[in-house]
Amino acid sequence: MAPKIVVDNLAAGYGSGFVLEGISFDVSQGEIVCLIGASGCGKTTLLNIVAGLVPYQQGTVTMDSRPVDHPGPDRVMVFQDDAVFPWMRVHENVEYGLRVKRMAKDARTRRAAEVIDLVGLSGNERMFPKELSGGMRKRVDLARALAVEPEVLLMDEPYAALDVMTKERLQIEFVRICEETNMTCIFVTHDLEEALFVGHRVILLGRRPAHIVATYEVPFSHPRDVSLKRAADFQELRGELAGRIE
Amino acid sequence: MSTGKLTASADTASGPQSDGATGAGVSEGVDADAELLKGRTWLGWILLTAKKSVVPLLILGTWTIITYIWPLAYGERLIRPIFLPGPHDLVKALLQMGPYLPESILSSVSMTLLGFALGTALGIAIGVSMAYSKNTRELFGGILDFLRPVPALALIPLFILWFGIGKGPQIALIVFGTSVILGLTTIEAIRNVPPVYIRAALTMGASRWHIYRTVILPSITPHILGAVRVAGVASWGLDVAAEFIGAQTGLGYLIIIRQQYLDTPGIMLIVIIFSILAMGLDLVIRAVERPITKWTERSTRRGIVAAVVGAT
Repeated sequence: MAPKIVVDNLAAGYGSGFVLEGISFDVSQGEIVCLIGASGCGKTTLLNIVAGLVPYQQGTVTMDSRPVDHPGPDRVMVFQDDAVFPWMRVHENVEYGLRVKRMAKDARTRRAAEVIDLVGLSGNERMFPKELSGGMRKRVDLARALAVEPEVLLMDEPYAALDVMTKERLQIEFVRICEETNMTCIFVTHDLEEALFVGHRVILLGRRPAHIVATYEVPFSHPRDVSLKRAADFQELRGELAGRIE
Repeated sequence: MSTGKLTASADTASGPQSDGATGAGVSEGVDADAELLKGRTWLGWILLTAKKSVVPLLILGTWTIITYIWPLAYGERLIRPIFLPGPHDLVKALLQMGPYLPESILSSVSMTLLGFALGTALGIAIGVSMAYSKNTRELFGGILDFLRPVPALALIPLFILWFGIGKGPQIALIVFGTSVILGLTTIEAIRNVPPVYIRAALTMGASRWHIYRTVILPSITPHILGAVRVAGVASWGLDVAAEFIGAQTGLGYLIIIRQQYLDTPGIMLIVIIFSILAMGLDLVIRAVERPITKWTERSTRRGIVAAVVGAT
């Protein structure tokens, strides 16, 4: 089967010089690829390019063999910052993308209830984001992204600002949801443990300009359990990767 | 005392919000401080009322001493009535001016409200259209930047020249003053919309117009309503200034007339009437504002946060 997303010899920059250069990788249907690197190395820029939010200068980015040149609901992004609209209730937030699609009200309500249940937020539909904790707001954000049934999910350090316990719970949920929906995903993070826990493959980025240092197939089988994080071979691989990050 | 407080806060922390944490045993950072001061006891209300009346009572007390008690002891007033009349003088002034008041109040209120409404609408329209498109911003932006520092009162002579004596310049002045406030606030608010909201909407395929309607407008609304309150207060001041110079009716005009008679009680009475009117308008704006902005963090500023910022 042809890969879902192909990035080929990509180079991009904002002013003079490139922020990233010579980037080539691909993502297959149902695969979670983690991009990892030191902060400021350009991994968010790379994700923004795939999202169609940032233009690029060289190379190609294609999805299903069509070039990517504008944002669209087939590639929805979940951000590090709190991107849940505070003036909308939980269900209105989740229905946002469906409204954009002009889905009928009944279908919209049904779909929203479905994804709200999927992320474990049932019973909180009528709440405003300010009434929710940071972890719950992240769930709303994920539900809003999943509601439009994207073909690819782009995660931009979504759990970076959360505490360890919440983060772990959300990672487990995320892996479960991706397995249930066979979601294709590019997951940007600077947390090695997170990358190894959620990813099928981990791509290590070097800095200035960003380039691919190494690609690791993550050997652990799915479904993954939280006990994996304490396993010796997990920690060993983690140590090996840590040594290669600049 | 302190233990009582502690148990109370622990109780509220395990309140309704942690139930929402979806079966997960640990509640994720519940806003306990927001719950802390939610229920005020009757004793709390009495204390609050007492605290709030300390300063007014002091002022009234001093006023009474100066006008009534001091003359009893020393034979003459501490401050001459022309500078500080007593409460009975104000009542007398009210009875004296009574017949003229309804017409004056009606005139001032209608002018102020008309100018305020037109100015607010115009200001929001300018701000919102400038925010939507770069073209309108370039067309009108320079003019607004030029008008921003102009002291509105300096325009009164010109407005009288252009719009004649009477209600024309009065409304024009209020419209000018309020629309500049609203226009500038609106643009500033739009500049401060967090870009992540717009990017989130973009990745879900929303068009520019859709984002403008569903993201930008709702997120600037609290700022605009704040500016409307500022403009509401400012419009009374602009009304008085306009009436000082070019009006034939109204409370401001009445102040100037009373000044010619050195009628201090009359002037004080009109100032009080103005305060009541301005507070009334502010109450109306706040009543409209509250349901619209209930999603903001500001509406949960209670408890510990309130103690720090001094807000309630």
